[in-house]
Amino acid sequence: MKDRGSTEPARAAFSPERFLRRYGTLVGFILIVIFFWTQRPGTFMTIPNWVNITRQMSILGVVAFTMTIVMVTGDFDLSIGALASLVGIVAGTTFQNDGAVGTAVALSLLVGAAGGLLNGVLVAYIGISAFVATLGTLTVFRGLALYISGGASIYGRVIPAEFSSFGRGAIPLGKIGATDLALPNLTILAILALIFVFIILNYTIVGRRLYAIGGNMEAARFGGIRINRLRLLSFVISGLGAAVAGLMLFSRLSTAHPTQGEGLMLQAIAAVFLGMTLSEESQPNVGGTLIGVLILGVLANGLTQMQIDTYIQQISTGAIIILAVTLSSLSGQQRHYGRWLRRALRRLPREGD
Amino acid sequence: MSAAALSLEVRHASKAYGGVQALVDAGLDLVGGEVHGLIGENGAGKSTLIKLLAGLEAPDRMTARLNGSVIEIGDSAAAYRLGLRFIHQELNIVPALSVAENLFINNPLPRFGGIFIDWRALYRRAGQALHSLGIRHINPRRRASSLSAGDAMLVKIASAFIGEGDSGEPRIMIMDEPTAALNSAEVALLFDVIDRLRARGDALLYVTHRLDELFRIAQRVTVMRDGRIINSRAIAETSTSELITEMTGRSVADRRAGASVSSDEAAPRLIVRGLRTDAVAQASFSLASGEILGIAGLVGSGRTELLHALLGIAPLLAGSIELDGRTLPSLSPARAWQLGIAYVPEERRSQGLFLGDRVSQNITVPHLDRLSRLKMFLKRGEADALSRRLGEAVRLKSAGIGQRARQLSGGNQQKLLFARAILAQPRLILLDEPTRGVDVGAKYDIYRLIRRLAADGASILMVSSELDELIALCDRILLMRKGRAAEDLPAAGLTENELLERCYAFE
Repeated sequence: MKDRGSTEPARAAFSPERFLRRYGTLVGFILIVIFFWTQRPGTFMTIPNWVNITRQMSILGVVAFTMTIVMVTGDFDLSIGALASLVGIVAGTTFQNDGAVGTAVALSLLVGAAGGLLNGVLVAYIGISAFVATLGTLTVFRGLALYISGGASIYGRVIPAEFSSFGRGAIPLGKIGATDLALPNLTILAILALIFVFIILNYTIVGRRLYAIGGNMEAARFGGIRINRLRLLSFVISGLGAAVAGLMLFSRLSTAHPTQGEGLMLQAIAAVFLGMTLSEESQPNVGGTLIGVLILGVLANGLTQMQIDTYIQQISTGAIIILAVTLSSLSGQQRHYGRWLRRALRRLPREGD
Repeated sequence: MSAAALSLEVRHASKAYGGVQALVDAGLDLVGGEVHGLIGENGAGKSTLIKLLAGLEAPDRMTARLNGSVIEIGDSAAAYRLGLRFIHQELNIVPALSVAENLFINNPLPRFGGIFIDWRALYRRAGQALHSLGIRHINPRRRASSLSAGDAMLVKIASAFIGEGDSGEPRIMIMDEPTAALNSAEVALLFDVIDRLRARGDALLYVTHRLDELFRIAQRVTVMRDGRIINSRAIAETSTSELITEMTGRSVADRRAGASVSSDEAAPRLIVRGLRTDAVAQASFSLASGEILGIAGLVGSGRTELLHALLGIAPLLAGSIELDGRTLPSLSPARAWQLGIAYVPEERRSQGLFLGDRVSQNITVPHLDRLSRLKMFLKRGEADALSRRLGEAVRLKSAGIGQRARQLSGGNQQKLLFARAILAQPRLILLDEPTRGVDVGAKYDIYRLIRRLAADGASILMVSSELDELIALCDRILLMRKGRAAEDLPAAGLTENELLERCYAFE
């Protein structure tokens, strides 16, 4: 993550309370891992299971990483789940019309970028709050997906084998002991997305400007940052992330259903929020988002292995998100959270606007 | 209540903020049936005094007597119970509610059976409250969002007289620059209300920067300077020029240590011709390299808006801006910084700083293009080194470039913005109230910086409400009145009194 420690002013003496507030989410993650390890000693802490976890998380990872960029500027993108579904339908429809895999992928990315562009124009240039604008486009994208597909799933022989095998494929890395080790293709895509977002946010001037916009939009404008362009760009990247995730989901399931991406949006926002607890100033940061995604992925995997009802899984996942954010909000940091929320809320439309 | 007139007597009010004495042994007498004007420059201690009376700040020392008996103003609720009412210049009106609901904002709404709102009684009582102040043109059913600034002020005043058992007995009203945002018709309405309040025996404290208003409505006037009461007497015994002398008071001569030298031979750095924006009616002036041009004027005279036009925040409706002989087509803040126009805004926390970010990020934000490889990757090492060097150049006191801007003092936050401006290698620097709210030490550091920047060839355009600062630092002073650049004066030989009189002059 960022090289924050080195130039920081001298810190006060260690206090467990502050430690928990700052790193509570990380500690919680480790505790969750230890818990599942003790509960399922034979299966949980094994290399194949962890490879499996990375594959299961990869799709959420891609959208959560790109969502981090949007949230750095203080906005949200609620439309990504619906956009991912729409992209799956676009690719599936291309296959139904005998399109090649390359054509389908290109069209999908185009649709993702166009969806992001629409969000960005609405938010940055027309000035609608991100919440309302992307709630609107969410509905539009969902409607489009249902309309194009006629509400039906696309699956079966129309889908080229090379496309559906990608989602299950892996690159062999050799043997460790008796087990074959292979890196799933989907995991590789997620890692590439992580690296891409990490570099953008931490090593480019665009990233510095995005953080400036999220920190103080008016100061950013007075300081010569072209805020509209950058907010637009962040939505386009989020749209592209949704497109990639939509393709990954389609490939892995070999099925495109017009609503199959819908769970992604809330989980992605939750992952970013979890990650924000790990930043001193409660800024979204992609390293934190990775931890957030890992927490959600490990919970799903571990609870499934313990054969816990999926409904109960949802309840416990939600509870853990609330717990993590509450913990980091206690005293000191709640001001930062409050600040982020107030900023976001201020951009909601108000009476008389 | 007794037949004797209402009186509030304040003695020995003192308050220090971290070693800075904001209020020194101040005393004040408010009497029923009298409007008492309170004037003084920014930082004279008026707001501090009001905060003590409102119970918003705890005094270091203060004795207050209401109708002769000693009172304690522990918090704002205590002030309210004692019958003190405050009207601040910002209107905290809830736009989504009706006028009547706004009137009752500090009090329970009338109800049936303890639960349901009795709307008819609410509107009736609200109407009565407005009528009792002679306000007949505001319907209590109207949405507050549809009120003009002046009407909103009247509603706020009326709301001070609503409350349990508030049956019209006299109150102590404290108004802090109530006319700051009002037009002249609205001011006239407000003055009618004030006259009515005075007639029924209220004691009013009226804080303003507009001296002409005092002569219209006040009976007494008190002048504050540097946290002290300078004088207090009947308004009939004084004059505008006497009040101005008392407000400014200090000698300017000893501060004029070497204003910069203007180089008239060279072509002007900046030529502004017939500039007009939605807030600036007309401005034409030129500025040479190395010259410091001060902009003086009252609040609302278009000073900040002129700077905004030059930074490209407000679009030009007419006129032209020429920088180093080139007419600038259309400006945006991004373009302006690229051209070497640097800006230090008035509100450093809300308009300047990224409080949660590091010192280095705060300094480099407008200059990231120059600190990048391929206009893309940040050269972090170079950015950090430059930030460190500039921090030293402006004498920034921080724990390093990794410290968060939030943790710096006001003066150091301001220096941070200067470091940002200097990194632009600016040809033109726009400064808006560059020393507002900074301590004395930082203030002199900032003066030194401004002089050095000018000596290095930058042209400086500086808005300030501190007239002694303008006279001491600037070569010329541009006077703004009602959106117009009305006069362009050489600063040498100008006194604060002359300058202030010209600010108040009528067109």
